[in-house]
Amino acid sequence: MDGRGSLRAMLGNIARPMAGMFLGTALVLSLSGVSQAGKITVYTSYEEDELAAFLDAMKNDVPDIDVDVLRLSTGDLRARMLAEASNPKHDVIWGWAATSMVDPRIVEMLEPYSPAGIDKVPERFRDKDGYWFATTGYMGAFCVNNPEMEKDNLAMPSSWQDLIKPEYEGKLVMPNPASSGTGYLHIASILQMMGEEEGWAYLDALDKNMDQYIKSGSKPCNAASAGENTIGISFALRAIKNIDEGYPITMVIPSEGAGHELEANALMKTSQNMEDAKKFLDWTVSKGAEAEYNKWKSIVTMQGREMPEKFTEAGLPDDISTVLFEVDYAWAAENRDRIIAEWQKRYEN
Amino acid sequence: MSVSTSTRHSRLPDSDRIFAFAMIAATGLLLVTFVLVPLWAILKNSFVTPDGIGLDNFVRYFTDSRFVTIVGNTFEVGISVTLTTMVLAYGFAYAIQRTCMPLRNVLRIVALLPIFSPSLVQALGLQFLLGRNGLVNRTFGTEIDIYGFWGIYIADVVYAFPHAFLILSTALAVADARLYESAESLGAGAWRIFRTVTLPGTRYGLASAGFVVFTIVITDFGNPVVIGGNYSVLAVEIYNQVSGQANFAMGAVIGVLLLLPAALAMIGEKWISRRHFASVTAQSVPLAPQPNRARDTAWLIYSLLVAAVILSLVAIVIYASFVRLWPYNLSFSLRHYEFDVQNGLQPLWTSIQVAILTAVISMIFVTGAAYANHAFPMRASRVLYFLAILPAAVPGMVLGLGYILAFNTPGQPIYWMYDTILIIAFCNVYHYHAQGFLLATTNIKQISSTFDEASATLGATKLKTVWRVTLPIIWPTVLAVGVFFFMRAMVTLSAVIFLISPSTQLAAVSVLYLDDRGALNQAAAFAVCIMATVVAFLVLAQIALRVAGIRGVSLVR
Repeated sequence: MDGRGSLRAMLGNIARPMAGMFLGTALVLSLSGVSQAGKITVYTSYEEDELAAFLDAMKNDVPDIDVDVLRLSTGDLRARMLAEASNPKHDVIWGWAATSMVDPRIVEMLEPYSPAGIDKVPERFRDKDGYWFATTGYMGAFCVNNPEMEKDNLAMPSSWQDLIKPEYEGKLVMPNPASSGTGYLHIASILQMMGEEEGWAYLDALDKNMDQYIKSGSKPCNAASAGENTIGISFALRAIKNIDEGYPITMVIPSEGAGHELEANALMKTSQNMEDAKKFLDWTVSKGAEAEYNKWKSIVTMQGREMPEKFTEAGLPDDISTVLFEVDYAWAAENRDRIIAEWQKRYEN
Repeated sequence: MSVSTSTRHSRLPDSDRIFAFAMIAATGLLLVTFVLVPLWAILKNSFVTPDGIGLDNFVRYFTDSRFVTIVGNTFEVGISVTLTTMVLAYGFAYAIQRTCMPLRNVLRIVALLPIFSPSLVQALGLQFLLGRNGLVNRTFGTEIDIYGFWGIYIADVVYAFPHAFLILSTALAVADARLYESAESLGAGAWRIFRTVTLPGTRYGLASAGFVVFTIVITDFGNPVVIGGNYSVLAVEIYNQVSGQANFAMGAVIGVLLLLPAALAMIGEKWISRRHFASVTAQSVPLAPQPNRARDTAWLIYSLLVAAVILSLVAIVIYASFVRLWPYNLSFSLRHYEFDVQNGLQPLWTSIQVAILTAVISMIFVTGAAYANHAFPMRASRVLYFLAILPAAVPGMVLGLGYILAFNTPGQPIYWMYDTILIIAFCNVYHYHAQGFLLATTNIKQISSTFDEASATLGATKLKTVWRVTLPIIWPTVLAVGVFFFMRAMVTLSAVIFLISPSTQLAAVSVLYLDDRGALNQAAAFAVCIMATVVAFLVLAQIALRVAGIRGVSLVR
């Protein structure tokens, strides 16, 4: 073969796959707006690592549905879904804060659905009209930095009441309820637990010890883990993960009971692929899903779970219902504006 | 030197008039589509109240006592950061453009480092360095508390520095040596020359840079969220309302407030432009700095000090990405580079595609808008100017949500690009439009309109003038605009987070979520990958220029 021939052959070798790529891209672009059989879009707030594990299991159990997942934080996802309300892009909401799900503007977009096997989920974790159901959740806990405690020679707190002791002055950090749903949940559960009058008096005392109300809900435990603060008011799962990561912290579940948040699932009434969306939701209450939840979540609403070792080692009891404070979500949602306004008036002026 | 606009205008032949209108119309139409329409879609919420349309939301907000504190804080940060950044960046740009000190090319890149990574990474770096448990406090046993005003102040100065540097460096890049020669022959000292020649010559650049810095500081929420402690500013209030409480109406009220600086800047620009004389004309002799040992050494020391501050923030992030567990186990480890996020490094490739697309669009339409605004001084171009700088005052979150509300409707003319990387690229171009536009305008303003005059009297049409005369002079600016948008597109977060889809995930979003879930070292590692990509891209592009036989043109002016 002469030089020119081989050059042409080489160019051909390059050109063909390139042409294929262009055609392929054009095809993908032209199809992207159209719903496809076997393909659904899921919006979720599950964290990256647990999400990856759940999806692996799902692909194994239900190989014929192709699931596209978009993950955003709870607040950002809510803003996005409300903005997209005239033309929703997703078929399913999965693992998203129940306190946000009950927003009437969200419920309006949902289609009631009770998946096969929903009976495993106790009724108190489901919407009474069947719009949503929660399979997992997370509970409140304190992240306490051990080296910082030793440095100041402090005793480990064990309850909400301990946190207002004067020795913790300037040592605490918690999420700002105005910017963070998890922050609001802490405030709401304290007010429900103690009653409003006593609750606000307690929050006044807590405020004296607070170093900062951090703007992001995920930050307090991270700040305590990195030693930027001593005690972070946060969630159990964050503490467990950070202990696993190697940070020298202790998880404390307040003895009065821990507030908690449920992560709920729902079907969109605008879904173009109801059949597969329902198949997916069926999977979320299946044995296979439950097995994965058990490995990752502090609260699994299906009955008869077995707690993973890393959870019990971090200090979670086998039966978490003994430490959970039962939050009244409807009350929390209804009184939100009033409570946040009062909170800002007291602590942000 | 300057020609009054009316005489020039009346001399325009018909074909030029059409060209002028076409150019203003094209860039203007895009600005209306991608800035005004989405902005209106969200800001109209500010008038929606439970009792119908009205101003109740504004009244409610203005009568809240917190409001006074928050507006006060916002201005305190905005003004102090702007003053500091302008002084530091002017000195740095001066040292690079007007002295013969060594290391100028390296220092140029260092000055830009803060925009190579998402802004939350700087705040992370600042926390690693100056936090309670940071390097400084642990090494020296000090008890520096960075959270609050000072944290925001330092983080924002570093964040805004490259933006100011880019514009000021462009302003200082070209000057007429004859002015300096005559000043010297008249016996003016160095300080007097600086005051009477250099400063007035860069007046437009100074005003532009000041506007850009002030607006990005008051609209930035990444730094205050991470390092602001209990110090509240308006941009965080928007985040509170929209993301924290799903209250679009109150978020929109604050969004409207933040637009005021853009309106003020438009008035200011008219005033500055009226008194502006092009500093380079067809007869001018380019100023070439002469070596001066004492001066060059002094400026080198200054530049190295500034560079050291910037580098320390970047270096500590890189360092943290290679240790097992910051700050408790500092042994070397590569484990944070095994990314366990969904899709691994895939978002990085998507980000590069988006960034290239953003750069190409910006080179055409942003420099196009800057040129149209400058070359055709008519009433329409004043409107164009306002639209072009308006996005600086829009927080990313407001713009991103506006895009959803405006474009996510089947049948809408540009709905076809929704859910593709094209909409993300357009969002980037128009999110950072003001910065790119002012960068290009500053440069174009330094080049005299006498070029246009000369070629017009030779009988060439405007179109020919653009092609034969203007483009060959300003293409390095066009390139610099492209590079700026490439860099922004690689790291921006706040607007695009509402436009990404499952198949268009971006690298900066990965960093955000790694940081969110407490994987600080992994977030640092991913940010390092982004920085490395941007630097590699700049180096490759510079090599490509060399290979193409073009020398003496820097990608970054």
